Amino acid sequence: MRRLAGEAVAGALMTLPAGIAYLLLLLLPTLATVLLAFTDYELGAPALGWIGLDNFREMLADRGFGVSVRNTVVYVGLVTPVSILGGLGLALLVEAGVKGRAFFRAVFFLPVVSLTVAMAAAWQYLLHPTIGPVNAALRAMGVGTPFWLSSSDTVLLSLAAIGVWESIGFNMVLFMAGLTAIPRELYAAAEVDGARGGFDRFRLVTWPLLGPTTLFVLTISMIRSLRVFDTVAVLTQGGPNKASEVLLFTMYQQGFTYLRLGYSAAITLVFLAVVLALMWVQTRVLDKRVHYA
Amino acid sequence: MALITRRATLALGTMALAAPRIGRAQAPVSITVHYAQPFIYKESYDAIAAAFAKREPNIQVEFVTTPNYEEGMQLILRQQAAGRMPDLTYQGFNRLRLFAERGIAQDLMPMLTAEGDPAALGYAPNLLALSHFGGFQAGLAFAASNPVCFYNADLVRRAGGDPDRMPTDWDGHIALSRRIEALGDGTEGMFYRWMGDDWMFSALLFGHGGRMLTEDERDIGFAGREGLESLRLIDRMVKEGGMPNLTTDAAQQAFAAGKLGMMYWTTAVLRGAIQQVGRNFELRTGPMPIIDAEKGRLPTGGAAGMLTAKDPAKREAAWRFLRFSTSPEGTALMARNTGYIPMNQIAIDDPRWLGEFYRDNPLYTTAVKQVPISIPWYAFPGANSVRVTQVIVDNTARIVEQRATPEQVLPEMAAEVRRLLPRRGT
Repeated sequence: MRRLAGEAVAGALMTLPAGIAYLLLLLLPTLATVLLAFTDYELGAPALGWIGLDNFREMLADRGFGVSVRNTVVYVGLVTPVSILGGLGLALLVEAGVKGRAFFRAVFFLPVVSLTVAMAAAWQYLLHPTIGPVNAALRAMGVGTPFWLSSSDTVLLSLAAIGVWESIGFNMVLFMAGLTAIPRELYAAAEVDGARGGFDRFRLVTWPLLGPTTLFVLTISMIRSLRVFDTVAVLTQGGPNKASEVLLFTMYQQGFTYLRLGYSAAITLVFLAVVLALMWVQTRVLDKRVHYA
Repeated sequence: MALITRRATLALGTMALAAPRIGRAQAPVSITVHYAQPFIYKESYDAIAAAFAKREPNIQVEFVTTPNYEEGMQLILRQQAAGRMPDLTYQGFNRLRLFAERGIAQDLMPMLTAEGDPAALGYAPNLLALSHFGGFQAGLAFAASNPVCFYNADLVRRAGGDPDRMPTDWDGHIALSRRIEALGDGTEGMFYRWMGDDWMFSALLFGHGGRMLTEDERDIGFAGREGLESLRLIDRMVKEGGMPNLTTDAAQQAFAAGKLGMMYWTTAVLRGAIQQVGRNFELRTGPMPIIDAEKGRLPTGGAAGMLTAKDPAKREAAWRFLRFSTSPEGTALMARNTGYIPMNQIAIDDPRWLGEFYRDNPLYTTAVKQVPISIPWYAFPGANSVRVTQVIVDNTARIVEQRATPEQVLPEMAAEVRRLLPRRGT
C-alpha cells in the first residue's frame, strides 16, 4: 500500500513540471483571453471596464468583421477542397509511378517545410503585375494581365493559390501514408470479383479505405487554412479595401494596430470556438459514418 | 550679416553643449534608448552614440529596436503596463499625440529653456511644432521627411519630356505619365503611394490648403471642396494617367526595374531607392507637383525623441542624449546616414555641417527645399486615431479600383471618420 502511494506521489511530482508549464503557458493565457473578451481594455490604457457582451454585439454590426468572416469562409472554401483533391491526386500518381517516388515526394513536400514569409516574397515576384513571369507569359499570349495581389477581384484567388501550394504536399504525404496502409489482398479480391479498371479499384477499395485519412486531412486542412495570416500580413495587409482581410489578420489589426485588446480577444474567442467546433464534428459526428477497415 | 548671427548662435549652442557640468553628479549611469526601423536608422544612431560617448563617457547607452513604428508604440505601451520602459524612445510623429493624451510623454520645454533660448539652439518654432501635442512639447523632432517625386530620367526622356524641366503641376505630370505608359512593353507612367496610412492623402489635401478636421477638432475638415478635389486628383491619376493598381512593394520593384516612370512617396526611402536602382537608369528626385501655390502645404513624416525616464539621474542622462541627437552635430550625422531632413535649424542653415554632403548628393536636397511649405503630420484625436487612417486608405482604394466616384466616396468617408472621433461635450 505504502509503496503504491509513494509511486503515485512520484508520478504526480514527475508530471508537475509539465503541469505547471501547461497551466502557465496555455490555460492561464486562454483564461485571460476569455476574460479580456468581455472588457474594453486598450493597450496602455490606465483602466479597463467590464462591458459584458458589447464586444460581440459590436462584431455583429461591424462591417469589417463581416467582410473578414466572409473572406475567411471563401478562402477556406477554396483551399480545402483543392488541396485535398490535389493532394489525393498527387499521392495516387506518385504511388503509381515506378521511378522517382522519393524525388517527387520531396519536391511536393518542400513548400510545407519552407518558411511562409520567405516564400511569400517569391510569390510576390511571380505574381508581380509588370515584371513577374506569370504576367509576362500572359502578355506573350495576348491575354489580359491582372493585378493579382492588388485587385479586389483576384486577391483572394491569388492568396488561395498560395495556400493550396503550401498545403498540397502535406496532404499528399498524409494520403500516401493512408495508401500504404491498405492491404494488397483487397485489390486482388476486388479483381477476382470483377473490378478490372483502375477507376473501379479506386471507387471500391481505395476511396472507402481512405475514409479515416480523408476525414483527418479534411479537418487539418480546414483548420490550417482557417489560420491563414502570414501571406496576408506580408503581401496585402488585408487590402485593397478589406478585400483580403481574414479572421486572424483582423484580430491582429484590432489588437496590435488599433490597440483594442478587448475586442481582439473577443475575435480570438470566436476563432477558438470555430476550431473547437470543427474538431468536435470530426470526433463525434463524422467518425461514426466513416468506414474503418 | 545673417551669417554672422548664425555663427554666433552656433558658437553659443556648441558652448552650451561642451560646457562642463559643474556641480552635477558624475556617477556612471546607463540608459536604454529605443528606436524603430533599424534598417533605415542603425548607421545614424551608431554614429551618434559613438560621438556622444566621447562627450559623455559616464553615460552608457544601450539601444533597443523594433522593426517599425507600430511595434515601437506597442513596446512602450506594453512596457508601461509592466513598469519597465526605455528611458528615451524615438517615435513616429503621428503616434506622439496618443502618448501625450495618455500621459506617457513628458513636457520637454522646461529642460530646453533651462539651456537657453530654443531658437538660438536651433530649435526653430516650426521644428518644435512637429512634436507639440496635447498642449505641450511631447518630444523633440529628430528626423523628418516630406513627399517627393522620384522619377526615371531615361523614361521621361524617351517619352519626350525633359528631366531637367519637369512639369510643375498635376496636369503636366498626368499627361507625362500617359506618354510614358504609351511606350509600351509593360511600362507604367506613375504611382502615387496612397496606401499604408493617410499621409499621402493628406499631401493632396494640404496641397489644396485643406485640413483633416476643423480648427476646434469637433468635426471633419476634409468633406468640402479641398477633399473632393484631392479624391478627384487620384481619380484622374487612374483614369487619365493610367496609374496601375499596385501594392507598395510591387511599385517599388517596378520602379527599380525601370518599368515605372514616376513614383510619389516619402524622401525617407531615397537611400533605399538609390541602392535598389543602382545603375539600371538615371534616378532623379523632384518636388511634389504644386496644387495651390499660395495655400498649398505638405505633411511631414519622421520621428521625434520622447523622454520616458522617471528616475532623475537617468532622466538627465537620457535628456543629454536626446539633446545631442538633435544638436547640429547629431542631426548632421543623422542626415548623412539616412536621407531624412536634419531637424536643427543651425545644421540646415550653416553649410559647414551638411553643405558638402548636399553638394555631392543633390537627390537629397529636394526634400530640404520643401521644408518651408511642410506642416506637421496631422494626428487624429482620441483612441481611434489609427483606425481613422485605415478608413481613409480603404476609401481611397475604392477610387483607385474605380468602384466608386469621388462624389460618392467623400461623404461616406466623412461619415465613417466622424463616427470614430471622440464624442465631446454632451
